[in-house]
Amino acid sequence: MNAIEVNNLTKIYNPNSKNSVTALKDFSLSVESGKIFGLLGPNGAGKTTLVKVLLGIVFANSGEAKILGEDIGNYNIRSRIGYLPENHKFPNYLTGEDTLKYYAKLSGYTNSDLDQRINELLALVKMNKWRKTKVKKYSKGMLQRIGLAQALVHNPDLVFLDEPTDGVDPIGRKEIRDILLNIKSEGKTIFVNSHLLSEVELISDRVAILNNGELIKEGSVEEFTTQKEVYEVKVNKSFDSELIADIMREYEVFEIKSDSFRIKIKEESDLDKITDKLREHDLGIRNLNNIKTSLEDIFINLINKN
Amino acid sequence: MNNIWITTLLTIRETFSRKIFILFAGVSTLILFLLGILFVSVGVENMPLLGSNIKIDGIDMSSEISRSLKLLIISPLYGFGIFLAIFSVSSIIPQMLEKGNIDLLLSKPISRMQLILGKFFGGNIVVFLNLSYLIISLWFMIGLKFGDWDLTFLWSILIITFVFAVLYAMIIFIGVLSNSSILAMMISYIILLILSPILASREVFYNLFESDIAKTLIDGLYYLIPKTAELSSLISEINVGMGIEDFQPLLTSFAFLILNLALSIIIFNKRDY
Repeated sequence: MNAIEVNNLTKIYNPNSKNSVTALKDFSLSVESGKIFGLLGPNGAGKTTLVKVLLGIVFANSGEAKILGEDIGNYNIRSRIGYLPENHKFPNYLTGEDTLKYYAKLSGYTNSDLDQRINELLALVKMNKWRKTKVKKYSKGMLQRIGLAQALVHNPDLVFLDEPTDGVDPIGRKEIRDILLNIKSEGKTIFVNSHLLSEVELISDRVAILNNGELIKEGSVEEFTTQKEVYEVKVNKSFDSELIADIMREYEVFEIKSDSFRIKIKEESDLDKITDKLREHDLGIRNLNNIKTSLEDIFINLINKN
Repeated sequence: MNNIWITTLLTIRETFSRKIFILFAGVSTLILFLLGILFVSVGVENMPLLGSNIKIDGIDMSSEISRSLKLLIISPLYGFGIFLAIFSVSSIIPQMLEKGNIDLLLSKPISRMQLILGKFFGGNIVVFLNLSYLIISLWFMIGLKFGDWDLTFLWSILIITFVFAVLYAMIIFIGVLSNSSILAMMISYIILLILSPILASREVFYNLFESDIAKTLIDGLYYLIPKTAELSSLISEINVGMGIEDFQPLLTSFAFLILNLALSIIIFNKRDY
């Protein structure tokens, strides 16, 4: 079952004005339950608008969307959804602990184990020490931690996180990543909006890239980062230039070193042909690796092309 | 209903966190304290007309003075109470609509209408509690001092809360429309202090306009704007035992309340945040 189903969603801000902005153009997307989904895109791509439309904060001009099998117009479904907005603002008169109670009640969490749940969450996000401190005294990192706990306090099935590691130090980021992976292991679905591509790459099962309100590419992180056609070949001794010249007649070869090179093939059977050529020159293969590219490189390439 | 109640409770908590409500309660306590000192220091034996059931022309002077005292207190109390209450709640909606806060609220399983109603009831309950504290305490002290336990004085709580509710509905409407607490406050004070008193005595101004259209417009404005001045007089009339002779100010003000709340909900339901 899909946790999120979006079909042909279009959102235009100020549609009748000269300053109208198209934030989403005929956008469609599915997010499978129990997975971590990363939505990437440059500033103004429409990432936050998409989340806001799904949560009923902003209204779409056309198209339809479902969350956990229910139409997004049904606000009751939000009792099963957690949300950490970018630059969230909690009532500054509340302590960390009270903030969690406040949002748990607003989320319709009426279970008698609320205090215990809050204790667990404060321990999870390492905010136990500051539970009685008012949120107005919190640093950005502490606000993100308590914000994450707020998004999880009512034990939601689907969590939307907008820049969850913003302002958090590297150790804190690792901790947040671990928390998200832990939540995923409980069968929850996590939808992450982030600029931090390396973060998304580390935790996401699937990724989509959005630019100017349009979906450019969607797939698993593996599909994104693996360049199926590029291989690195490492041999057991130095090779001569004649061999490389021979290979270059048929294939694109680059990053040539004394005992290794990278090659772009057209089909998998090309690998056998190259292996044969190397053996003809009495060279043994030490390594034959499919080259992976970082999500960041792919992202920049795609956005530039777009 | 449960969602409205939760939002109401959270609004009450939010308003109590504002120092202005502590000021409201503090000033009320000070008024009670000063009146208490006055009542204790000026004994009944020093006030020959009081506590001795002296009657002049068949009129019980003790209860007459107690009634005058109530009227003396209730007029400034009405103005002061409404003024401070408006000041206290004017920022509730703009603060709710602040970026980062509204996103979180709207992402919860609460409809936008429930949010508005929760804010409305929360603000009214706090003002009602503050007024009840002050007016019941005053009534109790006057009762102890003068033996006058007439309950009509307590109607002031309901009427002042009603006037506040009418203006608060407009504050919510202006807040949703403009996101400005200052504008909401300004318009409320203009109605309370200028428009309503002027329109209440609009017959005086009829002579200034020859055109019937102008008179009709003034009449229209009169019926549209909440009748805070006439409701203030209503409190005095109830306290002197006259009762409510004309329900029109109450009904048209209530219609204004409903109109503002309905418009607030309609606009809030359509807005992107």
